[in-house]
Amino acid sequence: MTRFLARRGAAGAVLLFVISVLSYLLLSIPDNDVGRQILGGQAPQDLVDAKNAELGLDRTVLVQYADWLAHAVRGDFGTSWFTGEDVVQAISTRLPVTLSLMAGVTLVTAVLSLLLGVWAGVRRGAVDRFVQVLGVIGYALPGFLVTLVIVVVFAVRLRWFPAIGYTGLTESPSGWLATVTLPIASLSVAGVAGVSQQVRGAVIDVLRQDYVRTLRARGLPPSRILFRHVLRNAAAPALTVLGLQFVGLLGGAVLVEQIFGLPGIGSMTVTYTTRGDIPVIMALVMVTVIGVIAVNLLVDVMIGWLNPKARASS
Amino acid sequence: MKKIIKGTALLAACVTATALTGCADAGGGESGGSANLDIATLTLPQSLDPADATGSALPFFQAVYDTLIKREPDGRYSPMLATKWEYSADRTELKLTLRDDVKFDDGSPFDAAAVKANMERFAKGTGASAKTLADVKSIEVVDKTHVTLHLAQPNPAMLYYLSDAAGLMANPADFTKPGNPLKTKPDGTGPYDLDSKRTAIGTKWVYTRASDYWGAKLPYNELTFHYFNNETAVVNGLKTGQLNTALLQAADQQSRIESDPKVKTTKQEFDFQGLLLFDRDGKIAPALGDARVRQALNYAIDRKTMLDKLRQGRGQITDQIFGTQTAAYDQRFDSYYPHDPAKARELLKQAGYADGFSLKLPRITAIVPDALAASLQSDLQAIGVKVTWDVIDPSQVQKIYTDRKYPAMVMNIGQSPNDWVAIGGLVLPGVGNMFGTTDATVQGLLPKIQKASPEEAKTDLKALNEHLVKEAWFVPFYRMTYLHVSDGSVKVTPQAGMAVPSVYNYAPAK
Repeated sequence: MTRFLARRGAAGAVLLFVISVLSYLLLSIPDNDVGRQILGGQAPQDLVDAKNAELGLDRTVLVQYADWLAHAVRGDFGTSWFTGEDVVQAISTRLPVTLSLMAGVTLVTAVLSLLLGVWAGVRRGAVDRFVQVLGVIGYALPGFLVTLVIVVVFAVRLRWFPAIGYTGLTESPSGWLATVTLPIASLSVAGVAGVSQQVRGAVIDVLRQDYVRTLRARGLPPSRILFRHVLRNAAAPALTVLGLQFVGLLGGAVLVEQIFGLPGIGSMTVTYTTRGDIPVIMALVMVTVIGVIAVNLLVDVMIGWLNPKARASS
Repeated sequence: MKKIIKGTALLAACVTATALTGCADAGGGESGGSANLDIATLTLPQSLDPADATGSALPFFQAVYDTLIKREPDGRYSPMLATKWEYSADRTELKLTLRDDVKFDDGSPFDAAAVKANMERFAKGTGASAKTLADVKSIEVVDKTHVTLHLAQPNPAMLYYLSDAAGLMANPADFTKPGNPLKTKPDGTGPYDLDSKRTAIGTKWVYTRASDYWGAKLPYNELTFHYFNNETAVVNGLKTGQLNTALLQAADQQSRIESDPKVKTTKQEFDFQGLLLFDRDGKIAPALGDARVRQALNYAIDRKTMLDKLRQGRGQITDQIFGTQTAAYDQRFDSYYPHDPAKARELLKQAGYADGFSLKLPRITAIVPDALAASLQSDLQAIGVKVTWDVIDPSQVQKIYTDRKYPAMVMNIGQSPNDWVAIGGLVLPGVGNMFGTTDATVQGLLPKIQKASPEEAKTDLKALNEHLVKEAWFVPFYRMTYLHVSDGSVKVTPQAGMAVPSVYNYAPAK
C-alpha cells in the first residue's frame, strides 16, 4: 500500500508540474496587455511599460514561469495583479465554500444513488422502471433550470432556505447547513441520476453471477448476500463514476455559485480568468489539479479496500 | 414538471430535515432601524485605494473616505472636509477652507498638506479618473486650513470632481508604505471602517461604524456591500429580505420585482443608450463626414418601438446627450428626429449615398444584446445602411479607443447633472470624441461656457446642445429607467450624477 501511494504521489507531482507549465504558457499567450488593462486606455505608454516591468512581464515567459515556480513551491503565490489581494488568503476565504458544496454533493449523491440503485436492482419491475425514468429526467434536465426552479420554490416562495449567500461552518453550523442545502440539492440532481444508474447496473450484473446463485442455494439470508457480497463487488464502477462526478462538479459549481451568490472559487475563477490575473488563476489551477489527483487516489484506495481482487490486479 | 419538483423536493427534504431552524439567522440584514444595511451591487471596485476610484464605485470609498465637498442628492454642493470654496474672478484659482477638527485613524491631522498630497497623487496616478484633475496646474498650501488650486484654465466641473473620486482624502502616511496597503486596507476620515476580517474582497465588503467620526452619524451601524455579477441573485435576495437594497438595470428583473407587494421602488433615469458617431470627419467611414448622413441615421431609428420592445417602455426616447438635470437640456430635443425612413433615404440621396453604405461597428454583448443588435441592424438596413458587428470581448474594450478602428459605437453613458462633465466626456477631444472632431460653432461656444459661471453659461449651453442635435453628432436612442429597490425597510434617495446612491442616501423607512 505504501509503495502504491508513493508511486501515485510521484505521478501526481509530475502531472502537477506539467499542467502548471502548460497553464502558464497558455495564459501568457492571449494578446492582452496586462499593464494597459490595469491602468486603462488613457494611461500614457511609459506608465504602462513601467507597470508591466513592475509585474515582471518584460521578461520572457519561461523566466516568468521559473520565477513563479520558485515562489510557488515555497507556498508563495504572490498577490493579485488587479486587486492587490494576497492570493493564498483570497483563495482560502473562498475554498471552504466550494469544498462544502462538493463534499455535500458527493455525500448526497453517494447515499441516494446507493439507495435508489440497490432498490431498483434488487426489486426490478415497476420500481426499477420508476428509478430509470427518474434517472433519465434528472440527467436530461439542464442544470440551470433545476437550480432556478429550486430557488424559486424553496427560497423565494416557501422561504424555507435563504436564496443567496453563505454562512461559514465555524460561524454557525445551522446557518451553514441552511445556506448550502439548496445549492447541494440542485447540484446533486444530475449526480444522483447518473450514479444511481451505475449502481443499479452493477447490482444487476453481480446478482446474475454464479457465486450469488450458489450463496442463495446455500440458504444465506438475502440481506447478508447483498451487503457482504453484492455491494462490495458493485462498488467499483459506482465509485469510479462518483469520482468523475466530483471532478465535473467544478463546472456546475460556477453556475450554482452565481445563482446563489456564493463566494466560492467557481465564480472567482470566472472573474479572474476574464481579467487575465495570472497569479490568481495559476493558484486556482493548482488547487483544482491537486483536488482531482486526491479524489482519484481516494477512489482507487477505496475500491482496493472494498474489493481485494482489484488491489491485487493493480 | 410535477415529477421534477417532487423529485427535487424529496432531495431537499432528505438533506434538510434539521436545517430549517437555521434559516432565519443565515440571512443577516434584518429589517428595521439602526442595525445593518445590506446593499447589492454589480460594480466591482478595482481596489480601495482612492487613486483607483471611479464614479461608479464611489459608495465603496465614501464609507471610509470623506470627499472635500459633499454632493447632495439633487446635485447641489455642501460642506464636508472643505467648509468653504471660492473662485477668483477669472475662475483659474479655487480657494478651499478646510475643517480643523478632523483626524485620520493614526491620529495624524487632516490638513492642507494632506489635501495637496492626495490630489497630487491622484492626478499623477493612473486611475480612470486621474484625468479629471488635468487642469490643476499646482496646489498651494496657504496654511493648515487653507489650500488654493491653481488651474491652467477654468474648469466648470472642478467642484463636481472634488465631490467625486478626485476629492477622496486618504491618510498620506500610507502613500509611502511598501506594497500599497490602501488597496486592501483603506485609511480615511470617513464614517465607517472596513472590517477586513469579515470582508472577502470580490464578494463581500463589511464596514462598521467609525467610533469617533467627526461628522453627523449615518443611520446604520454597519454597511455591507455584496457583489453579484447577475441580477437574478439580487432579485432573489431582495425578495427574501436577505438584501435590503439594490439598483436594477434590466427591464425584466425590474418587472419581476415590482409584482412583490412588500418591495419599495424608486425610478431614476441615468444612462442613455445610443450610437456615438466618432468619425465625423469621415476618416474611416467617409459617409459619416456629411451631416445629412448623420441626420439620416437619426431619422432611421424607430426609438419608440426599440424602447417598448427592448426595455418594456422603461425609459424616455431622446435625441440629445444632455440629461434632464443639466442646463443644456431642452425638452424639444427628446423628439427632434421622428422615425421617418423616407426622409432618411432622401437625405442619403442628397449626400450622394443613394445606394447606402456599410458600417462596421464593435459590439460588446453585455451592452448590445442580440435584440438591440438586430433591431439597429434592421432599422438601418431599411434606409440602405448595412451594419456588420464585430464582437469584442469586454477585456479588449480599451483597444477600441487606442486603435481607433471603428467609426462609431453603441454605448450606455451615465448622464451627469453637470454640463461640463458631459461636455468633457463626449464633446471635448478624448475618449468620447476619439477622433477629436470639432467645428467653428463648437469652438466658439466652448471657451465662453468654460469661463462663465453656471448661470451665465445657460444660453450658450442651450445653443451648444441645439447645434449638436441639428448637426447630428450622436444618434441617442433613449434614457433608460433604472429602479432603486428596497425590501421595504429602507428609504433610498437617488443621487444626481450617479446610478448608485451615495452611502448618505439611505435611511430606515418610516
